[in-house]
Amino acid sequence: MYRSQKLSLRYYTAAVTLFGVMILFGLLSALYYLYPSLLFNIFNFNMSKILHIDTLVIWLLMGFLGAVYWYLPKELGREVEGMWLAELTFWVFCAVVAVVAIVFLFVQYGGANEFSMWFINQGRKYVEAPRWASIGIVAVMLVFAYNVIATCIKARKMTGIMWVLVLDLIPLVAVYLDAFPAVTNMSVDLYWWWWLVHMWVESTWEVLIGCVMALVLMDVMGTSRRIVETWLYIEVMLVLGAGILGLGHHYFWIGTPQYWLSIGGFFSALEPLPLLGMVVHAIYDAGTHRLKTRNQPAYYWITTEALLNFIGAGIWGFMMTLPQINLLSHGTQWTVSHGHFAFYGAYVCGIIAVLYVAKQQTSGVDVLGGRAWKWGFGLLNFGMVGMVMGLLLAGMAQAFYGRAIGGSTLMAFTTASENPWFVSGMWARMFFGVMFAAGYVVLAYDLLSSPKRVPAAGALPEPA
Amino acid sequence: MTPSALLETAALLGLFVLASGGYGSLYSAGRIWSRPALIRAGGVCWALAFALALVIAIHTPLDPGWKLLILASAVVYLVIPPMTWRYLDRMHHEQEPHR
Repeated sequence: MYRSQKLSLRYYTAAVTLFGVMILFGLLSALYYLYPSLLFNIFNFNMSKILHIDTLVIWLLMGFLGAVYWYLPKELGREVEGMWLAELTFWVFCAVVAVVAIVFLFVQYGGANEFSMWFINQGRKYVEAPRWASIGIVAVMLVFAYNVIATCIKARKMTGIMWVLVLDLIPLVAVYLDAFPAVTNMSVDLYWWWWLVHMWVESTWEVLIGCVMALVLMDVMGTSRRIVETWLYIEVMLVLGAGILGLGHHYFWIGTPQYWLSIGGFFSALEPLPLLGMVVHAIYDAGTHRLKTRNQPAYYWITTEALLNFIGAGIWGFMMTLPQINLLSHGTQWTVSHGHFAFYGAYVCGIIAVLYVAKQQTSGVDVLGGRAWKWGFGLLNFGMVGMVMGLLLAGMAQAFYGRAIGGSTLMAFTTASENPWFVSGMWARMFFGVMFAAGYVVLAYDLLSSPKRVPAAGALPEPA
Repeated sequence: MTPSALLETAALLGLFVLASGGYGSLYSAGRIWSRPALIRAGGVCWALAFALALVIAIHTPLDPGWKLLILASAVVYLVIPPMTWRYLDRMHHEQEPHR
């Protein structure tokens, strides 16, 4: 095993741990909707939500870094350049996350001054980490970029996947710099802040997970390099074509010019089209391999990614992306429902697939199967589907009673929050959230336990 | 947009993409397992998607531009699965002799 693959396992461990922390604060955040006075003035909803969302961002990022460190030496046939720096920044990354979490838990907030911005909370939604920590994250990303680029140069080898990855590193680092400005005009501030949130999630990360999935498909399904690279190029083209200007759907109600309604609506409406192509591809691969593989869990999670990405991002997104609907639905639990489903489909399933690839290769079993992963798979997927249905119900109640009937007043918001449809939706979310948490426990147990030897059934695909 | 039109329109939009997804899935499943009945069921799904697009165009209060876009995308959805399939098939067959 390469040194960078050992580092990758550390990243995976940190990612899975933070995945658990994310779920914990997700459950706590859900409880506040049912018991609004819970932990009042001790630990308020806003801090729980910050920890839920920030740990989501960090664990996925750690999963991506782990996946790249895992595949980089295999792809280029040599050890990653600058490993000591990569190992050092891993510990720096963990220390930064731990310190920020402690500050969020115990200090929580400060006055409206420079000190708070530097040491407590930067005050920017989803990237609340104080400024010193944000600088630390930039340093980690720069070292990661150096590792990838320097290894390509030293290896004197560039594959199509590596070209896409290297080019993606530029926006990956550059767009995060958007976390820093402190513009006093709220519209201008939000205008640039959405670059960070949207460009990371719907462009840069999409390409990054595309690169990772291309490597996983060659590894698990034996798909040829030509096929995965062609799909990757198509994905990049579509991200550039629809994903970037899809940014417009975030500009609807923040004080930007009206033409953003047309741009955002049009390009967002195009986004489900390529996702349908991915569904066709997933079914083609499933049929070609007759559902047989050496790594069943990874294979099922990859296929699930394509299907749930279509449903979560495609169907859920299209329901509320046109401006006339979005005027009444944005910022309700409807959006939360779409966010949960889309993130889960696009990223979480992919990262879990990568974790199973690592499990198989570190344990040395020829065929990875068993029963525990199926329980984890079922509980996580049913839990997520149940959660998003509950959130959808609650969000539609908010949009209907609070916005469309009530006219978006504070009183209407309060009335909608007490509406039985909203309350039952939030209870459903809680119930299925617990189911999802149980799925996480099974997943973590399965990843940590020794794999059972499963007999190979017929001819199985070899890595490409 | 009236409160009931909000929910109806959103539901129709969601169902429209769902039906298109159903068409893509059933068409692919029918092709991979050589089941013409599944391909026909996929066709029914697309017909449903197109019917939903028509209902959206006639019945909902969306602006005309959006209605046109939805009708156009219904046609694009029809093309995506067979086009993707042909492309995948060609690439896989070209690759076979090299493996």
